[in-house]
Amino acid sequence: MTLVMVVDDDQDLAEMLGIVLTSSGFDVDLVSRGDEALEVFRNNPPDLVLLDVMLPGIDGIEVCRLIRKESMVPIVMLSAKGETQDIVRGLEAGADDYMQKPFKDKAELIARIRTRLRRTNADVTGLLTIGDLVIDVTAHEVRRGTALIQLTRLEFDLLVALAKDPGRVFTRDALLSEVWGYRQTTDTRLVNVHVQRLRSKIEHDAEHPEIVMTVRGVGYKAGGTA
Amino acid sequence: MKGIRYALKHSLVTKVILSTVFLSLGVVWLTGSALYSRLADGIRSTSLNSSLAESRYTFFNAEYQMLASSQLKVEDRKRILAEFVVSTSTQGINEERREVIFLKTPGVKPSTVSYEMSSNIIKNSSIPEDLRKRVQKNSKLQYAYAAAKYNDGGIVDSLFVGQKIKIPDVGRYEMYIVFSLKNQSTTLDLIFNSLLVTGIALLLLISLITWLVVRQVVRPVREAARIATQFTQGDYSQRMKVVSTDEMASLANSYNEMAHSIEQQISRLEHLSRVQQRFVSDVTHELRTPLTTLRMASEVIHNQRQSFDPLVARSSELLAAQLDRFERLLEDLLEVSRFDAEVAVLEPVEFDVISLIKRCAKDFDIASDSGAPEIQVRSDQVAVSIRADIRRVERVMRNLLSNALDHSEGKEVVVTVVATDSEVGIGVRDYGSGLDESALIRVFDRFWRADPSRARSRGGTGLGLSISLEDARLHNGELDAWGRPGLGAHFVLTLPRNAGSSINARPIKATPIDFHQEIFYQ
Repeated sequence: MTLVMVVDDDQDLAEMLGIVLTSSGFDVDLVSRGDEALEVFRNNPPDLVLLDVMLPGIDGIEVCRLIRKESMVPIVMLSAKGETQDIVRGLEAGADDYMQKPFKDKAELIARIRTRLRRTNADVTGLLTIGDLVIDVTAHEVRRGTALIQLTRLEFDLLVALAKDPGRVFTRDALLSEVWGYRQTTDTRLVNVHVQRLRSKIEHDAEHPEIVMTVRGVGYKAGGTA
Repeated sequence: MKGIRYALKHSLVTKVILSTVFLSLGVVWLTGSALYSRLADGIRSTSLNSSLAESRYTFFNAEYQMLASSQLKVEDRKRILAEFVVSTSTQGINEERREVIFLKTPGVKPSTVSYEMSSNIIKNSSIPEDLRKRVQKNSKLQYAYAAAKYNDGGIVDSLFVGQKIKIPDVGRYEMYIVFSLKNQSTTLDLIFNSLLVTGIALLLLISLITWLVVRQVVRPVREAARIATQFTQGDYSQRMKVVSTDEMASLANSYNEMAHSIEQQISRLEHLSRVQQRFVSDVTHELRTPLTTLRMASEVIHNQRQSFDPLVARSSELLAAQLDRFERLLEDLLEVSRFDAEVAVLEPVEFDVISLIKRCAKDFDIASDSGAPEIQVRSDQVAVSIRADIRRVERVMRNLLSNALDHSEGKEVVVTVVATDSEVGIGVRDYGSGLDESALIRVFDRFWRADPSRARSRGGTGLGLSISLEDARLHNGELDAWGRPGLGAHFVLTLPRNAGSSINARPIKATPIDFHQEIFYQ
């Protein structure tokens, strides 16, 4: 069974999320305080974390940062605030995706969770090289020389999506549909923040990227395979 | 010329200096010419008096010499006379040389001997006829100013002084002494030039002084203007320096007091706005979380409706629908309060507006009951790329389209896109029930509805057009409405192609081209 940890201070919403997730076949751990989240996480590591932004104790963004320090588990932020800076802050702290309350419907929530748990590039296997990086898709590893680079599952998927088709320019919308599984959205902040995070891990100089290149006004492409 | 006019209009210094110079020019001109004429008169009369005195003595001397020599022979007398003429004419130095002319008065007893002579380089014809007549008639000394013609061709302004001279046994003669005025006019020229130079120097000095003085006054004014400008641009901490106790200082003090009070007001308002912002954000959070629970609960119930009795099943449908509506209303209200708190932010990206419109139109067509396409998109261009907040533009388009479809009464809705280099116009035209004058005025008002009794078929919140207008204005664009009862309505969104630039024209007019006024009013 897949375990989903739900961190939300609203008991009723947490319970409701529990009902919905259980009825969709997930195991659920409910946590209502930010400062308890890390302990529960360590005692019983989940496959995915649903994390509210506003929490008593320590806030969701801080919780996200703490979890990210020790795990690459997919994190989906739940935000009641629609303000850009909250979303960007959450993504920068290491969240893979975010959902704004109230959700459109139950199906949307389940779809997002399933996308984050599934491997998106199931068709790609073997080794990919890009720049001086070697990506072992099967083993889910990225190496520069002998050094292993730690990437979250989403960052890995993003890198593979770009690297499997080097030179092709991906629009932000194309990446959203390929990596996040969105059919239609206009929120490109998600892509921008994750590209920044990915660059900070894999580029020699994140200010002058050589692997994930920006194509002005269009999107991104994987740079030199040489 | 243009430059001067500009400087006059915009620079206090130039204005003051120019008017000072013009006024002083008048004063210097008046005093200068008065001074010059006084001096000239004085010099002329002094030299006239001395010339006349000298002449009187010379004439007396001449008569005496001739009288004394009356016993001598003609040749000797002539020699004495010649010597006298020479000595008299050479009395002056250089320019001061006088010329002496001895003429026989015509028409009196002809004599065989002529004592006519002159210092020889001046033409006798130089003597004015009028003076000769006066000399012949009067026994007293006479004078006149005239030009003396010299034998070498030179002409010099001169004073002619003449008197009758009796030479015993010989008859009447006239003696003239010609004083050159060359020296005098040189003096007068010198005076004139000195006055001119002094006058010009004075004018320059006055301009310089004026400039210095005006600058003293203008510099603090300029400084004040600079500070006020910075204040206007939002630097509310700017204050004027108070260094003295003059009028400038009292201006500075009053200004600073005003600035202080404005700064306080602004920070109070900013505080209120922050409170409002936080309130909005709190309301969002507080309302959204229970709404999420409600929606999920309602969905779980709704999914089980087949097992309910029909009344409960219908209730669950109503519950789900009303929760949808509640959510839309909440989102719209929050958007409105963001506009009111001026915290709405533009997030512009580059996109093709035509494909956006087509996508929206397709969504509506899919949702429509008839299935036949109700929305037509017309444009000369295949794609129009603009830089704008795509989320907001899409929201405006969806609002305008859903509005048009609600009121189209089943007739087609036409979307026209016209782009210029700097603007894009998007017109949404329907041929349905239309709007009258009073409705046009209120159409962008919050919660206003064209016909309150109408079914809310598409479940609008009543805030759509008001939000659309704010969205358009956030881009520096405009949203215009046109309508006639029974002839439909036309909403035109005009956006700058680069969000934030201003729009200079409306590529599409609000009055649609298929509307002919004369036909309507017949």
